[in-house]
Formats: sequence, C-alpha cells, structure tokens
Amino acid sequence: MRLLLAEDDRMIGAGVERGLQQDGFTVDWVQDGEAALLALQENVHDVLLLDLGLPRRAGLDVLATMRRRGDRRPVLILTARDAVVDRVAGLDAGADDYLVKPFELDELAARVRALARRGAGRADPVVTYGALELRSATREVRFHGEPVALSAREFALLEALLERPGAILSRAQLEEKIYGWNEEIESNAVEVHLHGLRRKLATDAIRNVRGVGWMMVKPA
Amino acid sequence: MSAAGTSAPRSIRRELVGWLALGLFTAVVIGAVATYLRAREEANALFDYQLTQLAASVTGMPLATGTGPGSLPGNDALVVEIWNRNGVEIYLSQPQRRLPQTAERGFRTVTNDSGEWRVLTTLAGDQVVQVAQPMNVRRELAASMALRTILPLIAIVPFLAVLLWFGIARGLRPLDRLASAVGQRSPRTLEPLPESGLPREVQPLVHALNGLLARLATAQGAQRAFIADAAHELRTPLTAVHLQVQLAERATTEAERRAALGELRSGLDRANHLVGQLLTLAREEPGVIDRPLARVDLAALAREVVADAAAQAAARGIDLGITGAPAGGDASEAAAALVTGDAVSLRTLLSNLVDNALRYTPAGGRIDIGSAGDNGATLLSVRDSGSGIAAAEHARVFDRFYRAPDAAGVPGSGLGLAIVKSIADRHGATVALGPGIPGAAGPGLGVTVRFPAAAEPRSPG
Repeated sequence: MRLLLAEDDRMIGAGVERGLQQDGFTVDWVQDGEAALLALQENVHDVLLLDLGLPRRAGLDVLATMRRRGDRRPVLILTARDAVVDRVAGLDAGADDYLVKPFELDELAARVRALARRGAGRADPVVTYGALELRSATREVRFHGEPVALSAREFALLEALLERPGAILSRAQLEEKIYGWNEEIESNAVEVHLHGLRRKLATDAIRNVRGVGWMMVKPA
Repeated sequence: MSAAGTSAPRSIRRELVGWLALGLFTAVVIGAVATYLRAREEANALFDYQLTQLAASVTGMPLATGTGPGSLPGNDALVVEIWNRNGVEIYLSQPQRRLPQTAERGFRTVTNDSGEWRVLTTLAGDQVVQVAQPMNVRRELAASMALRTILPLIAIVPFLAVLLWFGIARGLRPLDRLASAVGQRSPRTLEPLPESGLPREVQPLVHALNGLLARLATAQGAQRAFIADAAHELRTPLTAVHLQVQLAERATTEAERRAALGELRSGLDRANHLVGQLLTLAREEPGVIDRPLARVDLAALAREVVADAAAQAAARGIDLGITGAPAGGDASEAAAALVTGDAVSLRTLLSNLVDNALRYTPAGGRIDIGSAGDNGATLLSVRDSGSGIAAAEHARVFDRFYRAPDAAGVPGSGLGLAIVKSIADRHGATVALGPGIPGAAGPGLGVTVRFPAAAEPRSPG
C-alpha cells in the first residue's frame, strides 16, 4: 500500500516515514502543500496523510482542492491542533480521519489500514480469496489455513492484486504500488516477486494477460 | 461602592443639592433686602405726602393746646405744633413730646430722646406749622411688606430641595445602571458597554471605558493566540521525540536503535531551544524585568558575541567576523558605538541575529557584524551570505512563530526575529531588513538595528 505523507517538519516526517515503512507501507513524503497537490495528480497513492500547517499551501486548502478535483481517496489529518473546532473543520473540509500529535505509530498504521479498507469498499479486515487469507494488520497470509512467509514486496504485490480481483494491473501500476519515489526499481522486479508468490502459494490464480498485465482470476 | 479609608466618598447628589440650596437661600435673602429697601422708599414717599396733607389741613384750624389726639386726623404717633410769627405757641398736640422749633421750611429728619422723627415745617399766613411722625412707623411698614413678599419664597426652599434631591437621583440613574453593568462583567466578557441612551455627561466615560475594553480584548486575544501557538509549537518537537522513542523501541538492530536515539537527542535539543526562546520572549515583554539601564558599547558587545559563536561558525565552515562599519555608517566611529540600554537584552538581540545568520548561511559562507554611528544615531548590523528572505516575507518574519516557507528545511523556533523586534522596540530602535553581503554566493540577509540619536529607552512598564 502506498501512502503520501505531507508534513513540513523534517524530524516528524522522517519519523513517520520510517515507522510506516517498518509496518510495510510504501511512503512518499512531501514537505509543502504545492508538492502534495502535484504528487496527488500522479494518482498512485492509496491514502494521504496530511499535516495542516504546511507552507505554500495550507493543509485544509490542499484538502479542498483535491476534493474539488473529484479526488475521493481517503485523507487522514495529522496535526497538533486538537481543539474540537479544528477537528470539525478538518473533517468537514473532506478529511476521513483525524489524528492529534503526538500519536502512536501503531495507531496511525491501523487507521491507515482502516481507511484503505473502506476506500476499497471493504469492512472485513481479512481479505479472503478461495483458500487464501490476507490480514493487512499483521501482514499475515494463510493458504488453506497454513501461514505462508512472504517478503515485504511479495505481500504488497498480493495485497494490490487482491484489492480488486478480476481487474488487470499493468507492470507500471504494480511497480507504483510497491516502490516509493526514492527506491530503485530492479528490472524484472515484478516478475521476480510474482514468481515467488506463485511458488509459495502454489496457485495459478495469478494470471498473466499478455501485453496488458496481471490479474487475480475472480473466484468461481 | 465603599469608602476607602475613613473619609466618606464625595456624593455628587449631596453636593449638588447643597450648592443649589445655598444659591436659592442667597437669592431669597437678596430678594428680601431689595424688597425691604424698595418698600421703605415707597413708604417714605407715602408718609411724606401724608405729612404735607396734614400740615395743609391743620392750617387755620381753631385749636387749643392739649386738646388731645382725638381732635386731629391721624394717629397718636403724629405730632402737630403751631406757632405764631413771634414764636408763641398756639397749639401743641402732645405737649409732653416737644420737637425742636426751627425756622427752616421743608422736610427734615431729627433725633431726640424718643427716637428719629420726620418733621415737616410749613409757613401759612403768620403761623408756623410743624408736623412730625416717628421714622420707625415707616420701617415697620417696609419690613412687614418685605416679609410678606419673601415668606412664600422661603416656604418653597425646602420643597425645592426635596425636588432637587430626587431629580438629581433620577439624573444620575444611568451611572447606577452603568456601575451594575460594569460590575456584572467577568474578566472574560469584554464586549463594549451600550453607549446609546446615555446622558451626554456620562457618554465620554463610557466611550473611554469601551476603548479600554477593546484594547484589553485585543491584548487578551493576542495572549491567548500566543499561548495556543506556543503549545502548538512545543507539541511539534515533542511529537518528533515521541516518534523517535517508538522507533527506538521497535528497533531490532543496534544501528537502528542508535540512529533513533540520535534523532531523539536532536529532538530534545530542539524542544530545549524552543523553550529557551519562549522564556527569553516572555522575559523581554515590557515591564517584566526592571534592569538598570547603562551605557552599552555595541562594538564591545559585538566582539563578545562573535567570540561566543566563533566555535560554532568554525564547525560549520562559516567565516564570522566584525567589519569596520555597516552601510551608511562612519568608519571612524566604529571603535565605540555607545547606546543607553539594557546590556543583557542587547546581548540577546545580537546573539539571536548571529544565531539566525548561522542557521541560514551555508558552509563556506560569511557573516559580518558591524557597529557605527550615523548622524548621531547608532547602527548595529549583521549581514550574511545565506539564502536571504524574500522581500514579500519581510513584514511577516517578525511575527511570533512565523517561518518563511523557504525556512522549512532549517530547524528553528520562529521566535528569533520576534525577540529581536521586542528588544529593539523597548530601546526605541528600529529593525530594517536589507540585502546581505554584496558579491556573495547567496542573496544574503542584512539586518540593521538603528538606535536613534536621542533614544531614551522606554521605561519598563
């Protein structure tokens, strides 16, 4: 899952980025409102983590602008302003959740997962696909009830494919899901990780549509 | 309202009623005297006429001495005496009351043992007729006339006093309403008092009061905003620290833990710096600390501050030093630049400027500090070769917690220039932002503090 973090404070930004990466998220970090709006136009992020006191473009302004553009992706506001009026203003401006600094990294990760889940139209934290079960919270995958050990990238790939079974994802789309801006993408990386997935899960559910991309076959 | 000490507070009502009653009483007395004088004048004219008539009527009457008052028109207070040409008495109405005989004709006022008399002497044929009347008759008449005119007025005075007493109370009622309106205020409600429907005399007071309330509300709002901002600003480094603690707890390798602890330390340094700056700002508020003013040599101060910051500058590869004179200054006066001020505050001012310059000047850059006299004024300047501040931001960078967008990458409290401004204000000095060191790599920033010639620092408070 790929997140966009808009936070102008270097120390907080670095800390949140590091913590969320440890939780298996792909994080892109911008330090001002204009950069956030620019990054949102790439349309590769699943959730926006937004600080309100951003330079160049205030957080609420960024939020209003993206909503005006018709961008419906979940937004979580991270701010030190904890007055009820501030929270109400944030939520009314189109935010989906509000977390007051300082916060626990575990709680932040849980809220991000919840937002992503709802953004994908699901309420169940466990994604089930045939004999396959995927728990984002614990980054656990079970096949026929048996735990399967996946690498971080393999997990991210599987999560992306399971988001909408039947939809075809191109190589570029898959790369965007599992690599942040500053990460070097190895050639054939997607194929390598998909191969690993197929081997570990002993499944042919992941299909290659030649010249287009990959998909999970919709379960019968 | 209670009296302070032992003396009762002055009462406008009592005072007004007192003065008005006194005025009224004086008017009545003057009226009484005037009426009396006028009545006496009229009585004189009337009785003189009566005497003339009497003198004319007794002339030629067959009268015998001692015939008694009954035979004469008038009352017993009248004395009639008739002589013949040879001075032989023909008639005396009251032989026991003799009046001096005179040859002069006309009216006279004489005094004898029975009081003052008004005497008329006339010559009729070969007889001298003298009629007289006591003066006190006239005075009594005048006094009774005056009294009759004045008495109703005197009777009215107490009534008027009572009327005034209540009228004034009624007139002062807006003051009572105002007092209760002010009394009901809590320190939090600073809305203006209603100014409509007030008498003209009270309006200036309410207006001034509303002005004060407005200024208080502004000050209170600024204070509240400052506390909210300060709390918010403190929360930022604390959030960073909190995050680093969590990362340190999660760390599985020694390297990760060490990195997190390193970040943790710099987060704490940051929080410390912010708290220090907040305390400095609070101390520099006017009227907080009453330090004695002294003659301060800015040149010596500059040398001290440079010496303190030299190690930090060297570590960052920045050339920090003192130049002869700032722009517009006179180099010959650079030796001593004396101002009257608070030495501790001025040192804080300069070290904040140098600290700012160090933060925004990259390695290999340069910072110049200068002090000089300029037409009697004294200048202190800090110029650098750093990233500078966009002209559009110049007005806002002195605001507390304001940080220019370009400054996002540089740690800082956003209070440095606010502290500088606060200290300069207290010394009656101005702070101007300008270009940095000419010909340097960056646009740079030049801050010039100008202490005017006759700058007497505002007394604390």
